[in-house]
Amino acid sequence: MSSRRPPRGEYIETDTGNKVARKATLVGTQNIILGGKTVIQPDVMIRGDLVRTIQPASQSATGAAPNNTAVSIGRYCFLSRGCCLRPPGRLYKGAFTYMPLRIGDHVFVGPASVVQAASIGSHVHIGAKVAIGEFAIVKDYVRILDGTVVPPHMVIPSFSIVAGQPARLIGEVPEGGHEAFELRDLYRTVGNNPQPTPV
Amino acid sequence: MSKRHSILPPAPSGPRPPTHLSPTLTISDSAVLTGTHSITLHGETVIHPRARLDSLAGRLTVGRRCVVHERATIGAVGASGRIVEAAVTVGDYVVVEVGAVIEAGETVVGEGTVVGVGARVGAGAVVGKHCTLTPHSEIAAGEVVPDFTVVYSNGLRRTDKRGVAELKNKGLARQIDVLRRMIPSNPAKFA
Repeated sequence: MSSRRPPRGEYIETDTGNKVARKATLVGTQNIILGGKTVIQPDVMIRGDLVRTIQPASQSATGAAPNNTAVSIGRYCFLSRGCCLRPPGRLYKGAFTYMPLRIGDHVFVGPASVVQAASIGSHVHIGAKVAIGEFAIVKDYVRILDGTVVPPHMVIPSFSIVAGQPARLIGEVPEGGHEAFELRDLYRTVGNNPQPTPV
Repeated sequence: MSKRHSILPPAPSGPRPPTHLSPTLTISDSAVLTGTHSITLHGETVIHPRARLDSLAGRLTVGRRCVVHERATIGAVGASGRIVEAAVTVGDYVVVEVGAVIEAGETVVGEGTVVGVGARVGAGAVVGKHCTLTPHSEIAAGEVVPDFTVVYSNGLRRTDKRGVAELKNKGLARQIDVLRRMIPSNPAKFA
């Protein structure tokens, strides 16, 4: 333990620009892939230990090394305080297995939301206290409002706005509205040296 | 690079409850068992990391082949805060999903019931067998929910007539088989 070590900030900032809060709970870190510039706030939980136990037939036939990624997250994602990401699980060929959870770029996950989707596209905004059921598929440029319950296996098309319990399509993202999904500015406002919000 | 510090907070300083743990139990290291009354966990049950079992308000019993997901709280001290004989009794094959809360105070959750993500079961509520509480639904304190009821978060209810209870239990057993291999168990920490 050297005394030259800089003072410990609230976040760990990696070489690829990820900002991971020290108080976040990442289980099975070896199975979590962060694309870079992703913010993980305190009390976030990511279940990387729930890996796939049955490999797809095409892969096991070729003898390739098993892909053990449980959760993969793209660039400029923002995981708010208290949210939880976990891979979905189901019975597959008579045995239970978890499946990987894939998240694209510029995805915002609101506080206290639980995501068990199969895949989430890019530029998706998930509000606070949202529950996304197992194997839901959320495409690009989708806005999910606060308190929504997305049922399992639901597919949400691109450019839609969904809300309600269960989730229903209530509108579309307006023309030119897709710029609101950019998270680069938000990324700069957190971390150990936060920049003020640009006006 | 200096030695990485643990990301886990120090062990909770609350009272350590007397526990009766089955040898076939799978309980994660970072689960939280706290309180003053006894906690009984029956065989082949799986407790995920960061699940919280609190026996401050009375005895806690969890049946066979249950799955308690992360951040679920069983035995949360409700508004009344009174101490009773059996605070929470959870039957066999019960799934308590992420962030669900079961309040203490003679609360009963019947066999095969699924308590959905972020759902809340009030103190003294009696939930029947094979019920489904969908995400964010709430059961009021002292309410009695009949068997095979599906409770929706917008207040709707219906009776589950699919008759898939047996199949669900079988599926859950498969899931537990996988989880037992996946979650490093450390019952010694709580004994």
